Amino acid sequence: MDYGYVNARVKGMNSILFNRKYYDTLILKADIDSLITELEKSPYKNEIEEGCVLHPGILGIEYALRKNLIKNYHKILGLVRGDIGEIYINVFLNRWDIQNIKTILRGKNIHASPNEILECLVPAGELDEATLTELMKQQDIRSVIDLLATWQISYSHPLTMYLDEYSEKNDLAVLEYALDKYYYEHSLSIVAGKKYDSRIIHDLLATEIDIVNIKTILRVIRDSIDIEETQSMLLPGGKIFKHKNLLELINTNSIRDVVRKVESTPYSFLSDIPEQAFLTDKISAFEKELDRYIIRKGIRTLRGDPLSISIVIGYLWAKFNEITNIRIIARCKNAYISDEELQEELIYV
Amino acid sequence: MEQVNPTRMELIKKNAQIKLAEQGRDLLREKMDALIREFFLIMENVSKSRDELEKVSDLAQRSLLIAQAVDDPVALKSASFATKRHITLDISGKNIMGIPVPVIGKKRVSLSLLERGYSILGVSGRIDETAEKFEAEIDLIIGLAETETALRRLGDEIQMNRRRVNALEQVLIPELKKQAKFIKIIIEEREREDLYRLKKVKKILDQKKKAAHRMKTS
Repeated sequence: MDYGYVNARVKGMNSILFNRKYYDTLILKADIDSLITELEKSPYKNEIEEGCVLHPGILGIEYALRKNLIKNYHKILGLVRGDIGEIYINVFLNRWDIQNIKTILRGKNIHASPNEILECLVPAGELDEATLTELMKQQDIRSVIDLLATWQISYSHPLTMYLDEYSEKNDLAVLEYALDKYYYEHSLSIVAGKKYDSRIIHDLLATEIDIVNIKTILRVIRDSIDIEETQSMLLPGGKIFKHKNLLELINTNSIRDVVRKVESTPYSFLSDIPEQAFLTDKISAFEKELDRYIIRKGIRTLRGDPLSISIVIGYLWAKFNEITNIRIIARCKNAYISDEELQEELIYV
Repeated sequence: MEQVNPTRMELIKKNAQIKLAEQGRDLLREKMDALIREFFLIMENVSKSRDELEKVSDLAQRSLLIAQAVDDPVALKSASFATKRHITLDISGKNIMGIPVPVIGKKRVSLSLLERGYSILGVSGRIDETAEKFEAEIDLIIGLAETETALRRLGDEIQMNRRRVNALEQVLIPELKKQAKFIKIIIEEREREDLYRLKKVKKILDQKKKAAHRMKTS
């Protein structure tokens, strides 16, 4: 695959991503209207104009951000279409497919209207809007899974496997866990090779699995959930934490113990979290740091081999980070949160 | 003033009515005092719960804002699809000084991590914290709904009682007293007239008697 051309294009796209100085300019805007005016001068111009016609204020910005994310990801997918790079990029983008399928299943479970479900879909993955709309039109969960199987979409495998258990327990979480586990297992199997590209994505995925597992353990300990029940939620394939290590973590009594146990790993930064978060069991504070870590690691791949997939993967993370940051600024501006508090919420990378 | 028959029977009736009205007024006053005591007891609870509700509500709104900002409102709405959309409550009733007030069964709305209907692997802790805070808010609202309804009903009853007492005190009893006084004046007037008339008749009879005696002797 000719990474030279693709990476040159992606580096060009990367160069127009917002830097810290521009975030400061956005933060200094007085209100949501001046923020919209500023964004209209940025690469988000077209989407902002369209979004603000369709929705007022913050909703217009959020619409524009989603639209821009989808446009950029699809543009990159278009650059690598038909090459091995497409498979690698899809490993990253498939998380949106999983989220969209979950949303459709949840919507069908409570008989939400198609419009309500459609509003919650972000077709940034492999499944395009037409496919998702068709899935959404199905009568119930079984029909959605049947259609996925008919179209030979791989997500039908875990769903079909757990459909009986779902019917027995009438608990949608059964299908959701099956999808989540399938995503990570399937993605790891795709990037199992020894190639540089595979190793880079495998490393990121394994780190992400570690982070998901740490988050799960922290939440489970906080809510004192039964250990037996928790074991089935843990994902195999982590970089640092294998099944045995995870069991050790899960058998601890408090969040502080978990943090102490991960002090010898790359996740030692968790012990720097303010004492208040430990006292109040505020999981979101730990999650924020873990998210920062994985985003930072993802973006760092931009500095990898210039003739590999790492540039593209780094850009995907950087774009995701930018969208998140703009949304945080917009939401905080909309709620008149002070600039200091806003800065704390931002995921600066 | 209402047209009344100025008879002794009517006076007795009016006096009995005054006594009954005064007894009623005293009873209503006692009831009102008891209701006010009960009202202030509940009021203290309501005011504490309201303060707590405001605090929890602020925290919930803040969590919601952060979850919407970091996770995208779309992900938040999607997670909300997974949860049950209705809450079932057991409502019975009890009496406070004869006033029916609702009793809402203390069933906790707050759910555990695994009861929210979604996979925790795909939903962030921020969304969990938001759900948790709003569940706590609903729990408080349900508790407050019971006490606030009781408070409102007690308040209505106190107001109604006050109106009744005022009506008795300012309208009915003075009116009855006025009527009784009027009847009494009329009866006394009539008695004086009767006395005068009797004296007059007696005088005429005495004069006739004297005249007859004079005729006989002459």
